Amino acid sequence: MKPLLILTTALCCFGQAGLDPAKLLQPPTDSWPTYNGDYSGRRFSPLKKINQSNIGGLTLAWVRRTVVAGRQAGGGNNAAVIKGTPIVINGVMYYTVPDHAWAIDARTGREIWHYEWPSKGGWHIGNRGAAAWRDTLYFETPDCNLVALDMGNGKERWHTSICDLEQFYYASVAPIVIREHVITGVSGDDLDIPGYIESHDARTGKLEWRWYAHPEPGTPEAKTWPSVEAMMHGGGMTWVPSTYDPALNLMYFGTGNPQPVIAGQGRAGSNLYTESIIALNPDTGKLAWYFQPSPHDTHDWDAVQTPVLFDADIQAKPRKLLAQASRNGWFFVLDRATGEHILTSEFVKTNWTLGVDAKGQPRLNPAKQPKPDGALVSPNQGGAINWPPPSYSPDTGLFYANAARAWSVYYLYDEDDKPEGWGGNDRSGYSEAMVQAIDPKTGQIRWSHKWPGNGGGARSGLLSTAGGLLFAGDTNANLVALDPANGNPLWHAGLHGPLTNGPITYELDGTQYLVVAAGDTLYAFAIR
Amino acid sequence: MRRLSWAIAGVTLLCPMLMGQAGPYERQKVDVAAAKRGSAVYTQYCINCHGAAARGTETAPDLIRSSLLLKDRLGNELGPALKRLAGHNPLTSEQLVDLTHFLKQQLEGTARNRNPAVPPNVLTGDAQKGRAYFEGAGECAKCHSATGDLAGVGKRYEPMDLQQRFLFPRSTKPQLATVTPAAGPAVSGEVVKIDDFDISLTDASGQYHAWTRGPNVRVEINDPLRQHHEMLDRLTDQDIHNVVRYLETLK
Repeated sequence: MKPLLILTTALCCFGQAGLDPAKLLQPPTDSWPTYNGDYSGRRFSPLKKINQSNIGGLTLAWVRRTVVAGRQAGGGNNAAVIKGTPIVINGVMYYTVPDHAWAIDARTGREIWHYEWPSKGGWHIGNRGAAAWRDTLYFETPDCNLVALDMGNGKERWHTSICDLEQFYYASVAPIVIREHVITGVSGDDLDIPGYIESHDARTGKLEWRWYAHPEPGTPEAKTWPSVEAMMHGGGMTWVPSTYDPALNLMYFGTGNPQPVIAGQGRAGSNLYTESIIALNPDTGKLAWYFQPSPHDTHDWDAVQTPVLFDADIQAKPRKLLAQASRNGWFFVLDRATGEHILTSEFVKTNWTLGVDAKGQPRLNPAKQPKPDGALVSPNQGGAINWPPPSYSPDTGLFYANAARAWSVYYLYDEDDKPEGWGGNDRSGYSEAMVQAIDPKTGQIRWSHKWPGNGGGARSGLLSTAGGLLFAGDTNANLVALDPANGNPLWHAGLHGPLTNGPITYELDGTQYLVVAAGDTLYAFAIR
Repeated sequence: MRRLSWAIAGVTLLCPMLMGQAGPYERQKVDVAAAKRGSAVYTQYCINCHGAAARGTETAPDLIRSSLLLKDRLGNELGPALKRLAGHNPLTSEQLVDLTHFLKQQLEGTARNRNPAVPPNVLTGDAQKGRAYFEGAGECAKCHSATGDLAGVGKRYEPMDLQQRFLFPRSTKPQLATVTPAAGPAVSGEVVKIDDFDISLTDASGQYHAWTRGPNVRVEINDPLRQHHEMLDRLTDQDIHNVVRYLETLK
């Protein structure tokens, strides 16, 4: 009886309503309807029921452990690891690990339904989350499928292939819905295969367009590769969900490393459109502009970190901006309408460049390319930041990054003229982790809060709120609230393990909840 | 011949759209003995055009990246293709299967080549200069001695490990700290855990101590590896290779 009752409740109260598309255009309050909360990528909540004056009273509301058997689901030893950001719609939270999706009551953590995809394989390294359009939920599976579920009962509506396992692709990205387009990215860098991004019809899953992370042969950008063959096998995976500006009708995302990953001698040139921030029209997949944070990367520094959208005055002129704290340690501010470069600065000290070129792109120091006998490089392969999402607060005007200064030695193993795969690797290393508050108007670090202790980056995303709070995971197992004005710690809770996703917040029936994941467990906090 | 490369590249790019999801996905498991026989088949029939590593040449396409071969299981794609393609010798069914094991072995090797087949040679520096740096500008000799703690270090580690350990010594020694609470005596020991909020350590007798951090609790950290960490911003790659070459002579 109980499951039936739960199902009936789900159908009655949540299933029919689905997501009001207008929610995607507003800062999130009673919902968190998409990976970043809204299209801007700011991960800023206007909620302030939890604020600096009452943060001491923030306490546990519920805990939910995720147990899945059999297959590795984002972690080792068959443990589930929640790396995705949950979405919350009409009081229901939807979250994923590879091959699994759940709907739970966002007030209590109680399960409403669980869906398991019968996997045929693929890398089970992680899943970044789900997307919604009206009453349909979408998520990607490691074996290259986009699966559409009925949000009311978790039953499959359809699935469609988005990549090819035979070529060592897999799928891990959280889809993003723009009007009636479901935008999907792809993963995989074992073999030399091109990255791409696709749009599917939200109703049927039908492929609408595919944009490859390489230029068309014969175009000026194709000259950034030595040959068409190198270009067509040049990588550029689309690991992280897009942001979107409805007024400009442009979506923004970053592309990953070129292939071969470390041994770059067979792909002389800057290797467009890998390692690039890309602006596309979501209706056509047509490229509007690009900017390349890591020309000719040989360090696996995917430039896929969330391109965050905000407006600010630059030299007394209002500008529509886009900022990225990139894995290579550099921070970029662009005009998001045109791609015009505005600012480049280091957000942690690095040692791999010869400065910045006229376009604002870092110039790779050839001495810091991987070498047979090793080159000491900072940051390391894990990067100055990785996929965990940053935050921007319009209240402070600061961009926040959970960052690391890390060193490793990069070795070149394959000196062939035509290497393939990786052909090298780095060996780590030492790292120091800190939250950096970056002023996007100047590129200056306004404050830096170093996490005590040595070693390990903090692989958690960030969330800032109008309550004067910046939530982050430290390098231990603490969920920490920092003062976004100066980085001072204001509150913390010790969890059973380090945070593994980006924190979210939403308000239901007058209570503001804060939810984070640590490994296989979701923790919800509220003022009681 | 360039046309052929293009044809294969075209199939590679179209394939994801055309692929169905029939049956469980499993890559062909490489039979090492068959791969060895297949290597001989490759050498006899394929190597002249497709190259020593099967990565293709000016005259023939890459066989590692070939979508046809990625899809192939035990020759079900390659066999018909060899019959179809001009200038290719039909193989016996045994030769065909052996060849697929060899090509799959090459493929799996490529997909796993984040690790070296043989350790790279890191002994490219100048030992004399390394010694000079060790004793001079590097200030290594302030804490270490070639005849003391580092005696025989060149024997104990492979050169690549020696390089890694010199740059990033293992934290065999935990951080040390002295904690001085306002109301009590200072306690020194090895840090068990430190974050923004708490610190715990064990003293010389093994006793565990813990404090909540705050303005009245002074914490002084003494990281025994601090100088190694600070060195990372100063070292040049040439210094590194010289020092490793010198350390390797300490046998």
